[in-house]
Amino acid sequence: MAERAVAAPDPTTERVPAGTDLVEWYFEQGWTDGLPVVPPTRAKVDEMVAALGGEPDRVECKIPPRHGSLTREVLAINLVMAGCKTDYAPVVRAALLALTAKAFNLNGVQATTHMAGPLLIVNGPVAQAIGMNGGCNAFGSGNRANATIGRAIRLVLLNVGGAWPGELDKSTLGHPGKYTYCVAENEAHSPWAPYHVEKGFAPEDSTVFVIAAEPPHSVTNHVANDPEGILDSICSAMSTIAHNNAVSSGHCAVVIGPEHARTIAAKGWTRHDVRSYLWMNAYNLFSALTFDHRYGKIYNRNLPKHYKREPGSRIPVVPSADNIHLFVIGGEAGRFSAFIPGWGHMTSPVLRSIEGSGDSEKAPICVDGTCYL
Amino acid sequence: MTSNTGQIVFDPRGIVEATPMRLAPRVASLVGARLGVLDNTKWNANRLLKRTAAKLQDRFAFGAVTFYRKESFSKDADPALIKEIAAANDVVLTAIGD
Repeated sequence: MAERAVAAPDPTTERVPAGTDLVEWYFEQGWTDGLPVVPPTRAKVDEMVAALGGEPDRVECKIPPRHGSLTREVLAINLVMAGCKTDYAPVVRAALLALTAKAFNLNGVQATTHMAGPLLIVNGPVAQAIGMNGGCNAFGSGNRANATIGRAIRLVLLNVGGAWPGELDKSTLGHPGKYTYCVAENEAHSPWAPYHVEKGFAPEDSTVFVIAAEPPHSVTNHVANDPEGILDSICSAMSTIAHNNAVSSGHCAVVIGPEHARTIAAKGWTRHDVRSYLWMNAYNLFSALTFDHRYGKIYNRNLPKHYKREPGSRIPVVPSADNIHLFVIGGEAGRFSAFIPGWGHMTSPVLRSIEGSGDSEKAPICVDGTCYL
Repeated sequence: MTSNTGQIVFDPRGIVEATPMRLAPRVASLVGARLGVLDNTKWNANRLLKRTAAKLQDRFAFGAVTFYRKESFSKDADPALIKEIAAANDVVLTAIGD
């Protein structure tokens, strides 16, 4: 480090007068998400770089739309600012590598006028090891790992990606998940194999799944004692013309609460049964999507070509059952599930192993360690 | 680098490596120029561009009008497509249309 400082000034650091209020200083620079950051120290940054494998100048990826270079040191700075512990670092790095896979189209996700933001769902033993919450209030506050992993991703998207509201992020509304949007699957209370195992990873592997997503929409059903009743409620949440899947197709996520999951699984339904039922029974009529042509005969080129464009046609919410990504998340008590709409066909979710916790090459459809879904 | 004393602070933004590029020089006249029209695939872009190109054609009598289409409105155009457009046209018209 000393040699580097002599040869060329370190572009990531400078000094401010002793006694400066650093929390305020970072606010003044515009380098926060609107909440106070943890002021990085040399020792904390170095510890975080070590957790990432050393080599502070190594570029992990570039973050669009600004296309800033995410070196390990820059990533470490953002991790410290977010309040992460060092053992969260590999998860955040894996998530950023997934987000910058070409199929995800992070450039579009960051800049769109739509409200979507990246949702991260972690599977495998790492989630428990670092204390992530996939249970009670999983999408809410109160868990350091969920909160700060998601926040670190957001800080990188802002600081390195330049997604400042109104500048490069043109989202009309945004959503609260653009502070942090990070959960784990509740594998311990799921009656089914975890999501990543369904996709070909081993149970002992740990993975990150990223999807550009709207906020979760709650699905309440306290009465059904069979799969069909519960899933019909989820279909109801999915069958509106308002979310982005309705008009732009693509992928979505469905979260089944543990109580609902137990009821469904007790009748022998598999994950595939659930996805297939949702796909077959969640739809909009073409006439509804086109407002009965009240505004002209608009040919919606965002929907797949093979959809029949006639008034009575059922238009699926997403093009196939496999485009519904199913997770069991939530507390043990409560008959609630959630529908999480995606952004549309402009992006693909990405599933990726977390370095050092499984061999992604073993997964069925993987390119360069990244699984395109 | 204000001084070597005081508290250390860190810039979390990372460096942007970019090659500076100049804008193409303006064409002297549109009359007889080759017009490229790039549809960004938003569902009304096509309509807007066709009508605009037709109006411009009446006014300037382009030497040629060629239509192109991006793969997706939310993704960068394929560099090969950009190269093709640059090689075959003097001016380019593009638009989005929600």
